Amino acid sequence: MREVAFESSVTSIDALKKAAYRYIDRFSLELLTKKSTYVCLLKFKSELSEEIKDQFVDDFRKEVLDQELRASINTETEQVRNLILAHAFSKTGVIKNE
Amino acid sequence: MLFLRRALSKMSKFQSISTYTNVEEEYKLLPFRFSELDADKYILTNIAGEYYSLKKNKLSLLVNHSLKSDDEDYINLRAKQFLLDSQNEIALELLALKVRTRYSRLAEFTGLHIFVVSLRCDHSCPYCQVSRQSEDKAAFDMTIEIADKALDLVFCSPSQAIKIEFQGGEPLLNFELIKHIVNAAKTRNEIEKRELDFVIATTLALIDNEMLLFCKEHHIHISTSLDGPQDLHNKNRPRQGRDSYEKAIKGIELSREILGKDRVSALMTTTQDSLERVKEIIDEYLGLEFEGIFLRQLSPYGFAMKTKSFMTYDSEKWLEFYKEGINYIIELNKNGIRFQEYYASTILTKMLTCDDPGFVDLMSPSGIGIGAIVYNYNGVVYASDESRMLAEMGNDTFKLGHVLENSYEEIILSDALLNPIEESFTLSVPMCTDCAFEPFCGSDPVYHHAMSKDFVSRKPESGFCKKNMGIFKYLINLMESDPYTKKLFHRWANRI
Repeated sequence: MREVAFESSVTSIDALKKAAYRYIDRFSLELLTKKSTYVCLLKFKSELSEEIKDQFVDDFRKEVLDQELRASINTETEQVRNLILAHAFSKTGVIKNE
Repeated sequence: MLFLRRALSKMSKFQSISTYTNVEEEYKLLPFRFSELDADKYILTNIAGEYYSLKKNKLSLLVNHSLKSDDEDYINLRAKQFLLDSQNEIALELLALKVRTRYSRLAEFTGLHIFVVSLRCDHSCPYCQVSRQSEDKAAFDMTIEIADKALDLVFCSPSQAIKIEFQGGEPLLNFELIKHIVNAAKTRNEIEKRELDFVIATTLALIDNEMLLFCKEHHIHISTSLDGPQDLHNKNRPRQGRDSYEKAIKGIELSREILGKDRVSALMTTTQDSLERVKEIIDEYLGLEFEGIFLRQLSPYGFAMKTKSFMTYDSEKWLEFYKEGINYIIELNKNGIRFQEYYASTILTKMLTCDDPGFVDLMSPSGIGIGAIVYNYNGVVYASDESRMLAEMGNDTFKLGHVLENSYEEIILSDALLNPIEESFTLSVPMCTDCAFEPFCGSDPVYHHAMSKDFVSRKPESGFCKKNMGIFKYLINLMESDPYTKKLFHRWANRI
């Protein structure tokens, strides 16, 4: 098992969960909160070398950052995404007014 | 001194130098997703499914609004509608138009209607999902009554283009029914005025002149099976006399002679014995003057699972086989021999154009039922060809109804169809929803149900995901690293 900590002021719990799901075939996650910290306990499926475990931990940290970026993009583009989709399907008859 | 400065300023006819310096323009992000392409790059796809590869260190600059407007990536990202500034205000309308084009096939609804006219077959292929070695016509052949009711359902579909495909077993064993269905469909179509096409999927072992003359009269396309060179084909496809290959070759020649070359195509299936022989398999297709090949992985359904044929190789081994095949085909083209791989062509059409070819496995919402539907020999309606194969293993999850018992509305609005389509929709599936490759991919609830008994599965453990992600990345890397391949792939994407 490896322990990885993230400051809750800079990392969202959603990003941690999504990143953990991405590696669900390699390790499982137990998520704890300690004051202003999220503590991630990574449990590996089988006996892996320490080097590989280090690599997975590193990949997990990078994926958390990717997930944070995705969240930023989604937040910034949510309105325009809805606008584009509404515009795209406005003439198809698929969308009807309630 | 101050007076002098003011005086000079008033005298000047020119703007100050700061007017001409490059003022950084504000930009807004447009919706996009990103995934890792390799150690150095991300792949980004916009809402219309167009892609752009970007160095990893540039992504945070882009998202944090720090990318300079004279940066090459900025200019390309603006041109592909990943960001919005004062110079591309039309971007939103363009994106909307492209999204509408990409999803336009949905409104068409079911275009492919598969009639399983007989389960009987003269072959006993170990990986075949459904065939029966039987002379019992009553037990395994479709009746006229069932065929007519199925035709009623075909013409309930709003699709302007309707393709009726005859499958088996060996459909030629019930050729009289094929004749009946073709004639009946054409009679109905005198009023319906749809674009009507017919295909027979056959090993060609039983084809004869009379059948082919009927096919010629009604413009029926022949789709046959060819697994590779003689020894490989005959090993994969045993029949009495061990002459499946010889029959197929003779059948291809005769069919081409009567129908014309463009009316005959072939499909291969990859078995364990094929894995080391991709070049030989491609050479076989080249020798027979086919213009391309569809390198197909064995499906996890029916007898393929029962005989453990499916388990003999995994997605990674198949990917090696596939990549070797693609590399060989690119080399052939570089040497002046035009040839293509059809699975890659389908993906490239999704990657490089706004068109969606409507390939059932690579659709989301899933293409089951709404892209293709199957009328089995016994009247049972299944959501796809794979669904009826799954049913042969005792998994009836995708059984939609029966032609003699259920109306079109009951079949199309059945929970057996709507639940898997809704649950597997990739825009709301964990991981798929964030995946940059989602626009090129599909949901394939039948595959996932066969493997993990739910319509979605955990994507990190999905062989479907591994296979397709591997192909997407490989095709993009090939295009990014070689201008010739990029040009070639654009040709495949646009079917030129």
